[in-house]
Amino acid sequence: MSEMKIRFFTISDYAEEEAWLRDMHKKGLKLVKMTIPCFYFFEKCEPEDVVYRLDYKNGTENSAYKQMFLDYGWEYFQQCAGWLYFRKPASQMESAEEEEIFSDNESKLDMIGHVIKTRMLPLLVIFFCCVVPQLARVFTVSSPDGSDVFFRVFFCVMFVLYLYLLVHCGLKLKKIRKSLERV
Amino acid sequence: MEERIRRVYCPMTETGFYILFCLQEPQHGYGIGQQVKQMTAGKVTISPGTMYGTLSKMENDGLIGFVREEDKRKLYCITAQGREVLELEIKRIERLYKNSQGEWINE
Repeated sequence: MSEMKIRFFTISDYAEEEAWLRDMHKKGLKLVKMTIPCFYFFEKCEPEDVVYRLDYKNGTENSAYKQMFLDYGWEYFQQCAGWLYFRKPASQMESAEEEEIFSDNESKLDMIGHVIKTRMLPLLVIFFCCVVPQLARVFTVSSPDGSDVFFRVFFCVMFVLYLYLLVHCGLKLKKIRKSLERV
Repeated sequence: MEERIRRVYCPMTETGFYILFCLQEPQHGYGIGQQVKQMTAGKVTISPGTMYGTLSKMENDGLIGFVREEDKRKLYCITAQGREVLELEIKRIERLYKNSQGEWINE
């Protein structure tokens, strides 16, 4: 028996996503697969407290990467849009440190830096080089068949969506980064 | 030693120090983690994401080198440059320790 749930998490909401997946598992729903942008496929299971962790590697990981997590008791079960998904039952953990996949702030900051460089920057480039110029263009030309109305609405929606994503992710990542940096 | 290496690794993080120290013998990531746990009575934990990231960085910077692969695990060992960094770091820690005990250094 599988169940599909729709939930949208941005690139800056990985901690919320981990918490949500842990909640789902406690309710007896184990994540099998996630498909972008927001589809989660679950399988019914025995309710259990299982910790979920996401690491962003964007395909840069080498052949020994997954084995290392496996050695530490983390089950790797899927990859989606550069993010790798791991889980480990809370009952197998001897200390709170074992709940984390990063044990120092430096490596947490490295991951955020990687997300900004390979996800936020492309988003910014698309926004300023495609969405904004197209929006300006569709409002300056009008076609006789009325298709301009469709494109105006389309690019307005795109503009709002991109603006929301950029502002939300930008501020959130900045906040997480600040909380990790030394004063 | 390159200026950049000195800037990044001197002084180094606790994680960095333990990893480099353990790699005086060939070892893989999880093995290092276990050894550190034992030698510090569980006071220092190095999680897999941090272990992987630090090993990759140190390999890129030439402080450690890839030795061989064993059952999908990569074994690393310290290089000559890594040893140089480790020795500097040990001297620094010794000085800190002596000073913390009220001892002065005479060179």
